Amino acid sequence: MHRFLIHVHSLTVLVILLLWLVATQAAAQTRVTQNIKGDSLARSFFTQHCSKCHDESTRKGDVLLTEIGASELPTGFALAQETAELYEQILSVLESGEMPPEDQPDPDEESITHVRNWLESRLQASVDQESEKISMPTTRRLTNFEYQNTIRDLLGFQLNLIDDLPKDPVTAYRFNNTSEMMRLGPEQIARYLTTGRRAMEAAIVDPELPEKHNWKAEWKPHGLDRGLGGDELGVWGNRRNTPSTGMGVRSIPNNGEYRIRMQASAILPPGIKELPLRLVMGFTLNVNSATQQMEPVGTVRLRNTPDNPQVFEFRGRIENHPVQLGKIRNGVRQPDTMVITPQNLYNDGTLNDGNRNVAMPRAVINWIDFEAPITDVWPPVHHQRILFESPLQEQDPPAYIHSVLKRFLSRAYRRPPTDDEVDSFVRIYNRLLPDLENQEAAIRETLAMVLISPQFLYHSTGAGDGKWRTYEFASRLSYFLWGSMPDDELMELAANGKLHENEIVAQQVSRMLSDPRAGNFVENFTMQWLSLAKLKTVPINRSLFPRFLYYVSAGERAGTEVPYRPTIRDHMQQETIGFVQHLIQQNHSVTNLVDSDFAFLNQPLAAHYGIEGVQGDQFQIVPVQADQQLGGLLTHGSILLANGTGSAPHPVYRAVWLREAILGDEVPAPPADVPALSESVGESSENAPGIKGLLEEHRQKESCKDCHARLDPWGIPFERYNATGRYQPNVPKAGVRVSGFRKQTHSDMVGYRAYLDSINTESVDASAKLPNGETVHNLSDLKVHLLKKRKLDIAENILRRLMGYALGRELDWRDRFEVKRLMEKSQQFEFRLRDMIILICQSPTLQQNN
Amino acid sequence: MALPLLDGMNGGSPTSWAQSPSEDELPKRMLVSYFAYGAYMPHGSTGIPSTSKPHHDWSWWPCNTPGPLTFNKSSAPFEPLKNQISYLRGLDHKGGWSMGGHSSGDVFGTGADMTELEKTNNISIDQMAANTHGQRTRYASLVLGTEGGTGSYGSSKTLSHRGPGRPIPSMHKPQEIFNGMFTPYAGKGIEQVRSGLKREASILDLMMEHSQSFSHQLGRKDQRKVDEYLESIRALEKRVERTSQWTHQPLPKVDTKGLNLEVSHKDPKEYIRCMYDLVYLAFQTDSTRFATLMLESEQSSDSELWNYATYTLGYKGATHDIAHKRPEDYSGQWDRWRAEQHAYFLNRLRETPEGNGNMLDRTIVLWGSAHPHASHSTRNYPIHIAGGNHLGLRHGNLHAFEGERKVPLSNLFVSMLNAVDVPVEKFADSTGPMTEILG
Repeated sequence: MHRFLIHVHSLTVLVILLLWLVATQAAAQTRVTQNIKGDSLARSFFTQHCSKCHDESTRKGDVLLTEIGASELPTGFALAQETAELYEQILSVLESGEMPPEDQPDPDEESITHVRNWLESRLQASVDQESEKISMPTTRRLTNFEYQNTIRDLLGFQLNLIDDLPKDPVTAYRFNNTSEMMRLGPEQIARYLTTGRRAMEAAIVDPELPEKHNWKAEWKPHGLDRGLGGDELGVWGNRRNTPSTGMGVRSIPNNGEYRIRMQASAILPPGIKELPLRLVMGFTLNVNSATQQMEPVGTVRLRNTPDNPQVFEFRGRIENHPVQLGKIRNGVRQPDTMVITPQNLYNDGTLNDGNRNVAMPRAVINWIDFEAPITDVWPPVHHQRILFESPLQEQDPPAYIHSVLKRFLSRAYRRPPTDDEVDSFVRIYNRLLPDLENQEAAIRETLAMVLISPQFLYHSTGAGDGKWRTYEFASRLSYFLWGSMPDDELMELAANGKLHENEIVAQQVSRMLSDPRAGNFVENFTMQWLSLAKLKTVPINRSLFPRFLYYVSAGERAGTEVPYRPTIRDHMQQETIGFVQHLIQQNHSVTNLVDSDFAFLNQPLAAHYGIEGVQGDQFQIVPVQADQQLGGLLTHGSILLANGTGSAPHPVYRAVWLREAILGDEVPAPPADVPALSESVGESSENAPGIKGLLEEHRQKESCKDCHARLDPWGIPFERYNATGRYQPNVPKAGVRVSGFRKQTHSDMVGYRAYLDSINTESVDASAKLPNGETVHNLSDLKVHLLKKRKLDIAENILRRLMGYALGRELDWRDRFEVKRLMEKSQQFEFRLRDMIILICQSPTLQQNN
Repeated sequence: MALPLLDGMNGGSPTSWAQSPSEDELPKRMLVSYFAYGAYMPHGSTGIPSTSKPHHDWSWWPCNTPGPLTFNKSSAPFEPLKNQISYLRGLDHKGGWSMGGHSSGDVFGTGADMTELEKTNNISIDQMAANTHGQRTRYASLVLGTEGGTGSYGSSKTLSHRGPGRPIPSMHKPQEIFNGMFTPYAGKGIEQVRSGLKREASILDLMMEHSQSFSHQLGRKDQRKVDEYLESIRALEKRVERTSQWTHQPLPKVDTKGLNLEVSHKDPKEYIRCMYDLVYLAFQTDSTRFATLMLESEQSSDSELWNYATYTLGYKGATHDIAHKRPEDYSGQWDRWRAEQHAYFLNRLRETPEGNGNMLDRTIVLWGSAHPHASHSTRNYPIHIAGGNHLGLRHGNLHAFEGERKVPLSNLFVSMLNAVDVPVEKFADSTGPMTEILG
């Protein structure tokens, strides 16, 4: 009945709206010149400043502005969706100063303000009239990232499942957690079923104790060779029968938790405090094959010396490590195997200087012991979490199964299940039980079905006539800040109806951001926001940057990159994610994204940037001086390298990055039929400085001019940072042949620097005239400009990004006023990031209170 | 990883047409394959060679003048296949014109009008064929790619689409593809498999019921999502049913000689050939008749594809940039390398006898990209079509569809579909069949 009334009401509105539309359309078609109670000032503004390009005949950018302001909307009616979107678009280009373009006469401030106010008031009036004051996100499925985290929290242990799912779509500078991106097809469900079964296979064990697999290896100090003992492990690895080749695990269980214990110590040269030692397990690292795969077990930092050996313990799930399938001998399949390999990860940035084993810290490993599955508690805790102890088990098995399913569903669905929902799975269980060998198998399959049900796979919104709204809000918070399901505390607050109180929201957000799971959020958010993934695949020109990648120095694989060792690129990625996380955790202002007086570095990365005095592989806050040319995201190697060609910087990529990620502009892709920038961009460093000239030439062409005039100046100031993200103010003189890199004399750091100084003689021109007319000479100038003139744009961009990510949809015109309100509030807190996140979470938009 | 031993792995010829069926009963097949970042065409953004200059040795087009084919350096690998191939110049999909050169690959297999109407793409040629004849084989179609998944708007990682908004994720892991296709029962006995499938069908039925209730819980706006889900479950049910029916047919005997499934992107030649081998085996065992293979995808800057040219030619830069380099150094070499891999596949088909000809005679293979060289143009695709000589295709020529003669690429699609007995008169923006090569 209720629904019916609403329907009739909206139908009436629609009819009236249609009539109005028909009327205005007719007016437009007959070109009635009389003013239908429009806003004459706004109208003359558009005629004067916009209609030259945006009239019927030119229609630049497919935007038509001749009708705006012509007719006044009848009071009491909302703007048509497209009109509202157009108004929003006009507002945003007026606000950014992007329009009218530079070569057109500037409108005076007063009339711009008038037009902006007028447009805004139209939008506001429109929002006021709409029944839906906030755009509701539509239902969307979990992203693979959310799926994996949810399974982890549902089961209580980490399982790597993402590799088995079809890849989620990725679009540069956009988040993939929107309804449009997260589509679903039969292939996906089929995969979900497979991964769901795998998860349940791991979570629920059979009652009888499983067979144990126990393997141990020992190393003795005998057989000194080139100063290294038989139980020692150098940075470069050593030779056969030492810990560097690892230990074989000759049989493994299919499922379960493993425990690896290791007795180890370190030989540390003077001045070096610790040695990072990592264990990896999987395929062997010792064959020359492209298919080897490894998963890290864990890292310890050894500070104890050989006279004080210590035992370290690692735990993990065996399912996460790639096995080497057993060979078939005489028709019998041998057990699957794995290899555990220790890696000495010490790296002071001089690894490419040549093999100097004894000068580097060495690990001493006495023995490693592998054991799986762990049966200290049986059945394991994760099993008991689902199939809990209860007297019902014996007394009333059907009632027991009912309560098992109900409990699991309430967690899997992130809200209390309905009776119907529980009954559905009871029916499925009853259908399965007679067919399968035991209760455990039937439960496994039943719960695997829960994991393909829409209530699990989708973020539901507006479900259950709003009675689950508080649970939906709990989920929105947890998928925002953890990328996973809510925990017990959030669920309890949702059940009590307390979660909407501002005080509680602030408390919970702070708690959630301090939780390790917040790391998942920051990583996923930052990777997409800054479009960082390509960092890993830019092909580095090895002749120009011979020291950048760490190569195997000797043996069969000499000259190939050392596999399964953290590279500078990994460190760069960690720098950026860790930096953002630090800003959020310490509640620093958004301005730090542009410039900061500290950097987040570890030793190898500091060495790459040329910063001294940083020790160890762990990231730390390092104060920086202006002459070190670091600070803010803009100098991060990750961004500079990802937006280069691997040989040379690429000002266009970098400009696009700055405008999209930091300023929040939408940069259109190059249109069809544009000629390529150049035949020679990135061919060699000799040509690198020429790119500025090439761009100038490019800008001369009519078809390229419009966009590039607005784009290039943002990228040129980055030119003094080379393709590997290092500050390099000088380059070889254009067109001059330079002497080549000689391994014998140039390979160590000192020789390499001397070599670079000898060839790089020309100062790079990094000055550019920004669209507002200001000239900047280098990146520092650009940063000053951004902080002085664009601070509000930058803060608003971050706010919008965070909010869009939290909502799982793109912001639209309806959100303008809430964004404005949040900006005002956030400004009172100097745009501090954690406060900003709290404000977003307290917003009615996020809580869906229309 | 050792290859699982299959029954009769070294067995002889496939059995499905051992009783020498008549030509009419033999399968009619189709493969659509795609390569990214265009090809070298030294003629600016138009991609159309001038008649006044001699033909470039490293142009992707084998010759200048329409008519019988002569070959240059880039196309040399196809010379022995002269009577089985045609080059078609001047074709493209209008629907991709305004998408930008690296995005128009989205519509290569669909011809959807992405400028205005169909932001969500539309049915692809292979699925059109699979809808008509897919039930004849164990698998209706095979969707492969080098990166896997669906990708997203403007950077598709698959050529196949069920319909608007429903891209089919491509598969890119050779071992997984092989196992899925040839060892679907994972070593279980046939009775066990059948009872398992029966159980699965009834559980999916119950799941369907359960999901209906979900649809009542959601708002109107979300019904599209619900439909998407329900349709997926229904498709799974059908698949279970189909698998169950096919358990009554023996699994094909697969000759895996020379097949290396342990390949990675670090060795592009091995990897690409392995993907071709899998298509070949799927066709040869008549496991499916319609396949797509996105050999490379556009916008692959976050995958190993970005480094393909480095691994194969030692080129120090991204694969994307190679199209902008001098041909004899790189871009021509790169085209030639791709031609070698494609010719390898065509040759395998040709060397396999079938009926009174060979497999290539009954397989139509489309190969091309969605933009020419060195510009972001979305006109005049490089298009190469092979095989199907016994299905009515005539080969050996370069055809030019330029100026007055311009027709949509979809016309070719209509003819391809007709040749494999899909009686359509129109596909996407087509204006008729392409009589130059068929009919």
